[in-house]
Amino acid sequence: MAELNEQLIAEMVRQVLKGMASAPAASGASAPASSGGKVTAKDYPLGTNRKDMIKTPTGKTLDDLTLDAVMKDSATFKDFSITPQALELQAQVAESAGRRQIAMNMRRAAELTAIPDERVLEMYNALRPHRSTFDELIAIADELQNKYNAKTCAAHVREAADVYKRRKLLRGDRPES
Amino acid sequence: MAEKKRSKRFETLEQRPVHKDGFTGEWVDVGLIAMGSPNDPIPSIKIAGGKVVEMDGIKREDFNMNEQFVADYAIDLEMAPKAMAMSEKEIAHKLVDINVPRTECTKIMQGLTPAKIARVMDCLNIAEIILAMQKMRTRQTPGTQAHITSATDNPVMLVADAAEGALRGFTEMETTVAVVRYAPLNALSLLIGAQVGRPGTLTQCALEEAFELQIGMRGLTAYAETISVYGTENVFIDGDDTPWSKAFLASCYASRGLKMRFTSGTGSEVQMGAAEGKSMLYLEVLCIMITKGAGVQGLQNGSISCIGVPGAVPSGLRAIAAENLVTVALDMEVASGNDQTFSHSDLRRTARTMPQFFAGTDYIFSGYSGTPNYDNMFAGSNWDIEDQDDYLALQRDFKVDGGNRPVTEDETVAVRNRAARALQAVYEEFGFPPITDEEVEQATYANGSKDIKPRNVPEDLKAAEKLLKEGITGVDVVKALAKRGYNDIAEKVLMMLKQRVSGDYLQTSAWVTKDGYVWSAVNDPNEYAGPMTGYQLSPERWEEIKNIPWAVRPEDI
Amino acid sequence: MQFNEDLLRKVIEEVMAEVAAPAAAAAPAKTIVTEGTVSKIKWTPLGNAKRGTDPREVVVALPPAFGDQFQKTIIDVPHAEVLRQVFAGIEEEGCNYRVIKVYHTADVAFIAHAGAKLSGSGIGIGILSRGTSVIHQRELAPLANLELFPQCPLLDAEVFRQIGKNAAKYAKGENPVPVPTRNDPMARPRYQGFAALLHNKEASYLDRGKAPVEFTVEIA
Repeated sequence: MAELNEQLIAEMVRQVLKGMASAPAASGASAPASSGGKVTAKDYPLGTNRKDMIKTPTGKTLDDLTLDAVMKDSATFKDFSITPQALELQAQVAESAGRRQIAMNMRRAAELTAIPDERVLEMYNALRPHRSTFDELIAIADELQNKYNAKTCAAHVREAADVYKRRKLLRGDRPES
Repeated sequence: MAEKKRSKRFETLEQRPVHKDGFTGEWVDVGLIAMGSPNDPIPSIKIAGGKVVEMDGIKREDFNMNEQFVADYAIDLEMAPKAMAMSEKEIAHKLVDINVPRTECTKIMQGLTPAKIARVMDCLNIAEIILAMQKMRTRQTPGTQAHITSATDNPVMLVADAAEGALRGFTEMETTVAVVRYAPLNALSLLIGAQVGRPGTLTQCALEEAFELQIGMRGLTAYAETISVYGTENVFIDGDDTPWSKAFLASCYASRGLKMRFTSGTGSEVQMGAAEGKSMLYLEVLCIMITKGAGVQGLQNGSISCIGVPGAVPSGLRAIAAENLVTVALDMEVASGNDQTFSHSDLRRTARTMPQFFAGTDYIFSGYSGTPNYDNMFAGSNWDIEDQDDYLALQRDFKVDGGNRPVTEDETVAVRNRAARALQAVYEEFGFPPITDEEVEQATYANGSKDIKPRNVPEDLKAAEKLLKEGITGVDVVKALAKRGYNDIAEKVLMMLKQRVSGDYLQTSAWVTKDGYVWSAVNDPNEYAGPMTGYQLSPERWEEIKNIPWAVRPEDI
Repeated sequence: MQFNEDLLRKVIEEVMAEVAAPAAAAAPAKTIVTEGTVSKIKWTPLGNAKRGTDPREVVVALPPAFGDQFQKTIIDVPHAEVLRQVFAGIEEEGCNYRVIKVYHTADVAFIAHAGAKLSGSGIGIGILSRGTSVIHQRELAPLANLELFPQCPLLDAEVFRQIGKNAAKYAKGENPVPVPTRNDPMARPRYQGFAALLHNKEASYLDRGKAPVEFTVEIA
C-alpha cells in the first residue's frame, strides 16, 4: 500500500506541475486514473484519510489553509476551490461505491473547473430551453472541447443540441423566444 | 322552504379543523390522481445495439426529452432484462424482506423503467413502505434539516434563528427570501449563525437556479437544493430547464466544490397544468430517474410545495411516502419533505410525518420550520418551532432519533446573542447599515419577526447589492469575524470553506461534524438487515433524547 | 368551503364538457365584452404586441382566460377590479400602461417576463386569473423577479394597487420599499387542490404557437 501511495503522490505532483505550466487548459482531469492507482471507498473521507492527495489549485495542502494564512493573505479565496484531480479522486470513490452516474458528474465537473465563473454560468443559461440556436450550442461545444479540453461536457452539449432540435427547444421554436 | 333539520353530531364534525382542508376527487384526464392512472404506460423495455429502443411502450424516436434522458442515463442495461422480467410483486417483496440485502435491491431497481417502478410501489401498503424505507435508506444515521427565514428578511433574526436551529441539531439549514434582492444578506446570516450554533452545519439559500449557483461560488452557501426537475416536458420547460441543462448545472456545482441535490415532488405537473393525464407518482418516478441519470447524489421530494395536491386526493400521502422510497431504492440521498403546510388538522399533519419519522430518512424534514410559521417564507412548514417540544416528546415516546435534541433556555439565549453580536460586527466591517444593540437584544429574546423593530429595507437592499458588486466572499467573512475578535467563529466558517477543497461532502448523503469530519453513505452505509442491526441509538444519544427539561425527575420528589 | 365546492364542481363540469366536445376553431379577433360580477371589461385586440419605446410604461401581461373565461380571482376579486387597481397604481405614479395577453405559457414568471421584454421601461407585471402576480424586469432571468406574490388567496384589491404603484416606481428607476409580503401558512391546505384545478383550466386556453397580442382594455 505504501509504495502505491508514493507512486500516486509522484503522479499527482507531476500532474499539478503540468497543469500549472499549461494553464488554462485543464490537463489533469483524469490524471490519477491513468496512473493505474485508484482510490476507493476505503480511503474516504479523503480530506481526513488522504490529506496527502488533496491540494488547492495553487498547490497548498489543507493544513496550509489556516486562519493565520487567510489574515496574512497567503491563502486567498482562490485556494478554497476544488481541483480536477480531487474531483477525479472523488469520482473513483463514487465508482467504487457503485455509483457510476455520480462519477460521470464529477468528471464533467473536473473539466469545468478550468472555466471562469461567469462563462460557466453563461453556458448553463445557454442550455436552458429556447435560449440558443443549434449553431450557438455547437459553438459552445466546440469551445468546451478546443479551449478547455472539456470533452465529456462538449459531448453533453452536442447531445443537448440534437435533442433540442428534435423536440423544438431551440431559440425561435417558440413565438416569443 | 323549511330548513333541513341538522344532526348535532354532524354539525360538530363539520366544525373540526380537517373540514378546512381542501379534498378533491380524482380527475384522471388531467392527472389529478396519486398512483395508478389508467393513462400510465405499461412497463416494457427493448434494448438493441447498447441503447434502449423502446421504453414503457414508447419508441425511441417518440421519446420526449425526459424519456430519452432516463433511457440513456438512468437504466442499468446489463441489469434491465433480468430486473424487468421479475414480477412487480416479487420486487416489492424483496424491498421489504430483511433477508435480501439493500445492495441487491438497489441493483434490481436500477434495472427498471419508470412505469415498472411506479407499479412496484403500488404493491406496497404504508407499513411496508416504512419497513422498506428503514432498510433502503442510503445513509445509516438519520438526520434532519431546517428552514430559517423571516417575513421581513430581518438579518438579525435570521442569524439568531440559524444559531438556535444548529444548536437544536439540524444538520442542514435552508433559507429563502420575502424580497428576492435580500438573498445575499440572508445567506450571510445563515452562514455565520449556523457556525455559532453547531459548527459543521451546512447552509443554503433557495433562489432562482443561476443565482443560487452564483452565491455558492462566492462561498456564502455550502450546498443547494432547489434545483427543480419535472416529469413532463412542458412543465420542465415552464420551469426554464431541461434534463441536459440541469445535468450541466449539477456539474457546475460539483466543479465549485458545492454539495447539491435536486428537488421534485408529486403534484407539481398537475399543479402547473400539464400532467398529460399521468399519475403523480409515475411522473415523479421520471423526476427521480432524471436525478439519478444526471449523477446528482440526492433529491428533495415528498411532494414539497405541491403537497396540497396529493394531500387532497385518495392515497396521496401513501404516494408521497413511496416517492421517498423510490429515491433511496435508487441509491440516492433523500430529503423527505414534511416541509410545507398541508393540513389544518394537527392529527393529519402529525400522521403525514410519521412514516418518515419512524423509518428514519437521510433528512426526515427538508425543512422543519426553525421559526414560527408566520415567518416561514416557504409558505409555512408542516412543523414549526412552536411544535418543537411535541417533536422532542415523540422522539422520547417512541425511542426514535428524529435528529433534534432538547436544549435549555440559557444556552439558546446565549448562542442567539453571540450570533447577533457577530453579525453586528461583520456589518460594521463591511460598511453595511448598522445593527443596533437594541436589535441584538430583541433578536436574542424574540420568538419571531413581530418581536423586533423593522429595518430600513431600501438601505439593506443597497448593502445586498454592494455585497454582490464588490465581490465579497466567504473569505472576507472569515477576515471580518477575525478582525473583530470572533476567531472561533472565523475558524469554523473557514472549516466549511475547506470542505470545498476536498469535496468529501459531494458524496451521497454527506454531513459535516463540528470538527469538520465528513460522514456520508460511503463511510456510513445503511446496513439494516432486521432487528438489532442498522442504526442503533447510542446510550449517550438516548440519554439526550430522554432528558427533556420539563419532565419531572423522580429523584427531585 | 361550501362556495368552493360549488365552484369546483362547476369548473370540473365545464372542463369535462369541453373534453367531450372540443371547441370549434376560435372566432376571428374582434372586440369582446365580458361581464364580471360588478363591471364589464371590453377587450379590443391591436395585433401582435411590439416592443414599446415609452420609458415610462409598464406592460401588464395576462393569460388568455383572464377577464374572459375567468372573471375573478381565487378569493373573488373581480378581474375588472384587479385591472382597475393596477392601472390606477401605475397612473398615480405618472406612468403609462399597455396590456398584452400571453398565449404560449401559463407560468406567471414567464408571462411577466414576456411583458417586461416588450415594455419600454423594461418593467412588466404578470397576473394569473387566480391572482398570482409578479413584477418583472427585462434584464432578469425569467424565474427571477423584482417582487413575487405567490399566495393568491392573500391578494386583495389594495395589494393590486400597490403592485401597480411599485411597478411604476421601478419603471422610473426608483428603488421602492417592496409591497409588504403577506404570508398565511394555512392558505396551501385550504386552496392548493383548488388552485391546481383552476390552473389546469387556465392552461387549457393556451395556444403554445401564438405570439403575445396587445389589447386596449375598457372597464365599464
